[in-house]
Amino acid sequence: MAENWTDVSTVDAVPEDDVVGVEAGGKDLALYSVDGQVYATDNLCTHGNARLCDGFLEGFEIECPLHQGKFDIRNGKPLCAPLVDAIRIYPVKVEEGRVLVNLG
Amino acid sequence: MGDAPAAVNEDQVWKDPGSSRIPFMAYTDASLYQRELERFFYKGHWCYVGLEAEIPNPGDFKRTVVGERSVILIRDQDGSVNVVENVCAHRGMQFCRERHGNKKELVCAYHQWNYNLKGDLQGVPFRRGLKQDGKVLGGMPKEFKIEEHGLTKLKVATRGGVVFASFDHDVESFEDYMGPEILHYFDRLFNGRKLKILGYNRQRIPGNWKLMQENIKDPYHAGLLHTWFVNFGLWRADNKSKLVMDSHRRHGAMSNTRGSGGQNEEITSGLSSFKQSMEINDKRLLDIVPEPWWNGPTACMMTIFPSVIFQQQVNSVSTRHIRPNGTGSFDFEWTHFGFEDDTPEMTQRRLVQANLFGPAGFVSADDGEVIEMSQYGFEQKPFHRAVAELGGYGFEDTDHMVTEGLIRGMYSYWRKIMEV
Repeated sequence: MAENWTDVSTVDAVPEDDVVGVEAGGKDLALYSVDGQVYATDNLCTHGNARLCDGFLEGFEIECPLHQGKFDIRNGKPLCAPLVDAIRIYPVKVEEGRVLVNLG
Repeated sequence: MGDAPAAVNEDQVWKDPGSSRIPFMAYTDASLYQRELERFFYKGHWCYVGLEAEIPNPGDFKRTVVGERSVILIRDQDGSVNVVENVCAHRGMQFCRERHGNKKELVCAYHQWNYNLKGDLQGVPFRRGLKQDGKVLGGMPKEFKIEEHGLTKLKVATRGGVVFASFDHDVESFEDYMGPEILHYFDRLFNGRKLKILGYNRQRIPGNWKLMQENIKDPYHAGLLHTWFVNFGLWRADNKSKLVMDSHRRHGAMSNTRGSGGQNEEITSGLSSFKQSMEINDKRLLDIVPEPWWNGPTACMMTIFPSVIFQQQVNSVSTRHIRPNGTGSFDFEWTHFGFEDDTPEMTQRRLVQANLFGPAGFVSADDGEVIEMSQYGFEQKPFHRAVAELGGYGFEDTDHMVTEGLIRGMYSYWRKIMEV
């Protein structure tokens, strides 16, 4: 896969144990921070028309605000109904206080 | 206007003994009608909702009714059949408007409450509230339990590809409900072969729903009202026939065999008209191609109380769903079907013969008209009563058609359950 590392945010803007939405490279992304590690997924839920950045993060599980479907932010896997399809995840690295996401 | 119907005065409804004189009030009184819905359609009875062939694949659904209540018949992911009420658990919206379709889940458009195909609530928007400026605003109370807010689920029975449902989870088994006498005829028609949907007729008939049951329980009118039958020599009161009821006398089966001679005569009888100048152009409309499953009768009409009629008229087979909507109106949905092993010729034959039925059918158009005209009569004279005394006052099974015994049987049951 082609590498396309894109600067999407400062690391300080991603709250610990929570989620924030950003737009970068024409994509709507959700960024998460757990135990000092940053994760990135698509922001739009694969089920309803809602943004995961409006949802609730518990550990590594993001719960969609619309119908309480949950994804594992580490691998994008759907964890419960009504979700069927996984959410896309993106590789992340932090350099000099910036969050870089490989948009592919 | 808008007043609740006055309470039923049980002693004033049925003034004559037995069940042969039917008060017009039974067709016009709003409080009796409400009691019918409660006691026949919503409690203690199975109602027809559709055919499995209408929903062959997971997610396929059909919007249908039990009494006046809108329900959804839907095929689950595991292939089983569910029936849920078409009313959102949130604000009561009748959320499904499409007649047929395929859905992965059931969603109410108003606030997007989301249910799986079993009717279980899966999630509600803003359950935990809205995140704003580092705070969480609103949301459902902590005690809100998803499990307590599913759609109302109906009990479901399937047999031979036919689906019945009941709001009453304590209802007796479908087999007990039908009784062995009627089940025999049911299994004759729905003998396990896959059904093939051929099409629908739908009509609104401005008359009381019971008049449709009576119409099919009444063989007396067929040769008199339906001049089309008579014109072509199709109806003879001396056709070999049999009238059978269940032990409650709520259901009936009326079978007869056209023609009394040999096979050849049977096939050709009916082609020559009593009116010698009249002849049918498409002979398939009237002639008979016997099918192995018949085991004799060329016609068998089953009246399954309260919601459905199953028809075999020669090669035309259909279900007729009664959907009441008031004392003086019901919708009538005909589902014409065939069987998976039908040849193209047989399918065409069934379709040609279906021209006798439905709202504009050569025969059934008459029934819609007389039901409407009966209702007019009842409404102008609600203190009077009808007479159904052909064949006497009782309700025995008979081997002839010159009786209104099935109607009396149904009303003996009606009186008992209605407590009038």
